Amino acid sequence: MILLPIILPFLAAIVLGVIGTPVRGAIANAALSLVVFLLTIAAFTAPGSGLIHADSLGLLFGALTGFIAFTTSLANIGYVRGAEPRLTPPLWRLYHALCQVVLGATLLGLYADNIGLLWASVEIATIAATLAVSLPRTASALEAAWKYFILGGVGIALALFGTMLVYLAAQPALGPGLNAMSFIQLSSHAAWMDGALLTLAFVFILFGYGTKAALVPLHGWLPDAYAEGPAPLTTALSSPMLNLALIAILRFRHLMQANVASGGTAMPPGPFLIVLGLASLLLVGFSLSRRRDARRFFGFSSIEHSGIAIFAFGIGGPAAIFGGLLHMLLQTLIKSALFIALIRAAALRGSTAPGNYSFSHLRGLIHSNKYTAWLLGGAIFALTGLPPSGLFASEFIIISQTVQRNPWVSAPLAVGLLLCAVAILRNIGPLIFGDAPPHTKPVKAAPEMHLVALHLALVVLLAFAMPGPILHLLSTMSGALQ
Amino acid sequence: MNLTFSLAHLMGGLILLCAFLLLSQRRLAAMITLYQVQALTLSAAAVWQGFAQHEVNLYLTGIITLALKGVLLPIALRQIVLRFNLTRAVESTMPMALSMMLGTGLIGIAVLVVLPSTMSAVSLTREDLAIALSVVLLGLLVMTARRSALAQIIGFLSTENGLVLAAIGMPGMPFVAEFSVALLVLLAFLVVGIFLLRIREHFDTLDITGIEDIERRGR
Repeated sequence: MILLPIILPFLAAIVLGVIGTPVRGAIANAALSLVVFLLTIAAFTAPGSGLIHADSLGLLFGALTGFIAFTTSLANIGYVRGAEPRLTPPLWRLYHALCQVVLGATLLGLYADNIGLLWASVEIATIAATLAVSLPRTASALEAAWKYFILGGVGIALALFGTMLVYLAAQPALGPGLNAMSFIQLSSHAAWMDGALLTLAFVFILFGYGTKAALVPLHGWLPDAYAEGPAPLTTALSSPMLNLALIAILRFRHLMQANVASGGTAMPPGPFLIVLGLASLLLVGFSLSRRRDARRFFGFSSIEHSGIAIFAFGIGGPAAIFGGLLHMLLQTLIKSALFIALIRAAALRGSTAPGNYSFSHLRGLIHSNKYTAWLLGGAIFALTGLPPSGLFASEFIIISQTVQRNPWVSAPLAVGLLLCAVAILRNIGPLIFGDAPPHTKPVKAAPEMHLVALHLALVVLLAFAMPGPILHLLSTMSGALQ
Repeated sequence: MNLTFSLAHLMGGLILLCAFLLLSQRRLAAMITLYQVQALTLSAAAVWQGFAQHEVNLYLTGIITLALKGVLLPIALRQIVLRFNLTRAVESTMPMALSMMLGTGLIGIAVLVVLPSTMSAVSLTREDLAIALSVVLLGLLVMTARRSALAQIIGFLSTENGLVLAAIGMPGMPFVAEFSVALLVLLAFLVVGIFLLRIREHFDTLDITGIEDIERRGR
């Protein structure tokens, strides 16, 4: 049962890659994504066993990934209709195949109960995403893809070394064989693992998966990849991949913390994570206001949110981890809605090709279409973390936990959050209400905008009135992974 | 048992030596030859470990390494050099002497980090791991010390050899052959990427300084 949502996208990728016109491919892609989404929900009833054995965290984020893939693929149909002449039909087929590969690989990583499979899934997702970034075949897209490939490749190499070290660290507790690679086994035997080796392993894991999570100083690939690739795949679908890397770091952090808590010789993982998280947050805070291209701008904002989640994991304790996970959940919903809206906004102004996303080109959206402008403005506002945005709830939890557990780092955290919020707020006014470029005519809104509204409504619902079962799931998971 | 030790160490040492010599080479052809020697030694090391640990998986890893990394990849790399006429020396970002000193320092760090933290592991694994980590770090250093995309790829290939060396030294590690295949897929994409993406057309030479273009054009 749990195998279906993983295998189906890979099989579908083969079919989508071989036959179909661009628009039909997009429709088939949407239909398949809907099936995968339903399967990720069905997976709750049968979490599997052995190598693919999802815990609640994997299931929850798997369902989120399925949902995002579905809404993105719906919005993608409109994108493909508008952008069809920009790529040849074989490239469009490759594009839709890559959409499915990224989805399947992300789900594999979330559901796998094996550190080796997790690594392999991140590798597949990276290769597919890099290929996707190179699809437009422009010089700048190739440069962005090359940068992504080199940085991602180094990250993957480091993560594999870390994975092998974790296996070696587990030898005293679990002996040779598959058991020493299963998260469930590792976390119940963490106390007997070799602490010093585990610490060494964690450094490699942190820098390896940290590259995929775009933590400073390993973030260089992300803004370029966001700005140059075909928009729906490289932007909206990228948040689930960031989540996969963040969850991987969270799980390995848990092993180390459990080792420390039971008197092992590992170093506490908190300081590593806090430093990287703050570095990401502050770098983004200082550089965000200088970005002119909207896709790069929101790429940097993804780096900020990865930083916040890692910071929360570094603070530790069930509440902070709950806050970090909630932050990831809501951020993913907001960011993908934002990119759907942004692509529609660029379409209102003529073209969705890279290079048409500068703030000066998009300004005064309200004169083009009110509905699109308000929703895009709402999505951008939601990123600042001011109420009524859902991120207010998660950031509030993280800040209050920081003050309680580690008051010294709450000052830089607050400075970083404020800087980012101000930089984002400064852009909303001109972008939505500013003077439009000359000859701007009102245009009808695209039906995709209802998806944006749905995402934003979900964010508010999840943050302020979270349904009981999800709340229970998240809080037991953050208790278990503290 | 003693023969297991000394042969494994000899081959590990050879791999490390190749990784270190990569730092000192200015010519692409010489770098490719060094990589080939490294890959061949690695395949011998994998087969030897397979014999010592009685693991079929490791024999498989050795054969895959021999066929793909010892023979096919070097041929592809030489083809790229010929096709793109890259016979000139590679530009480096730092003086040769500095990079060699840094390399020595990295080997020292690897040994100092790994040996004390692996007291409980078998000594063969410990020393293998120290060598493997040195190879990984040296490969990364080659990547930062060279400007040409192809030289950076060779650095990455060397890093990857270090990873496989670490994997074959782990006692009874599952998926070793699968890992090496997965890594090879990544490498194949890198090498084929140069062909398909025709980086030369866009970057003029295989010099990736052009990447900073993006940064200059105000993100």
